Amino acid sequence: MSRKLGALALALGILVGAMELKTLVTAHGKTAVILANGVSPVPKLPPSSSN
Amino acid sequence: MPSGIALAIWTVGMCAGVCFVTCSVLRASFLKYFFLNLYVIFAFSADLLRQFVLRYYGLQSPEYIYAYYYTDCLLTIALFVAVISLASRIFAELNLARYVRFVAVLLLLGTAGFTYAVVAQSTERLATKFAVELSQNLYFVGLVLTYLLWGAVLKLRETRTRLVQMVLSLGLYFSAYAGSYALLNLAPNYEVVQYLAPILGCFLPISWALTIMRYSEDSRLTPARLVAVPR
Repeated sequence: MSRKLGALALALGILVGAMELKTLVTAHGKTAVILANGVSPVPKLPPSSSN
Repeated sequence: MPSGIALAIWTVGMCAGVCFVTCSVLRASFLKYFFLNLYVIFAFSADLLRQFVLRYYGLQSPEYIYAYYYTDCLLTIALFVAVISLASRIFAELNLARYVRFVAVLLLLGTAGFTYAVVAQSTERLATKFAVELSQNLYFVGLVLTYLLWGAVLKLRETRTRLVQMVLSLGLYFSAYAGSYALLNLAPNYEVVQYLAPILGCFLPISWALTIMRYSEDSRLTPARLVAVPR
């Protein structure tokens, strides 16, 4: 039981840490999002207005 | 259409993926590193699909944009699963593999829930925004996980050369992407910066292929080479 709680706490810690890091890194970013997949040319972000 | 350099990088990246899977099959490691191979196969398939869509619709067409971001979301999930598979192997000797999978499921669900909570506030098209945000959030979760994994490798004095090198490659890969993002913000007008992310995309399959080719499953590092721990 304590191991499961430990795992839960670890998952929450990682999630909070990752989101903090994301906020830190992207807060002052002016360009597109960070994407870590593949070698294809990166297009602009999808249109933001609803369609 | 993208420039010749972008197309050349694209071709090299796809060849690197084929090279990694071929090496894995030839060295009888395909099933041992199944999720790494699966990620590279997905990346190859996504690149084929993107190339097909790009050829017919163009770089800035909505079709290419949606194909790119939806496949990217799937690839990020596959990369996350690949990182977890490496963590499972590292913690297997401590009988913690079950808990690693538990943490992985919690993380995936937590990230998806958090992303949905953020995206639901927006009036933008939900599915697309969700895919882009989930992809980015999972990237950061993967980054943190890889660094934790590297810490575990050092702490547990992991000696399996292939595992150590694959985790190190992932750490470098994630860090280099963050660096390229910073460069893109610092110098967005330089054309060479635009090619950094696609070049980095070639790095992971090439480094994994080299690891599979150069080392056997039985190869071991001496702990002293990993880190010098003062006593």
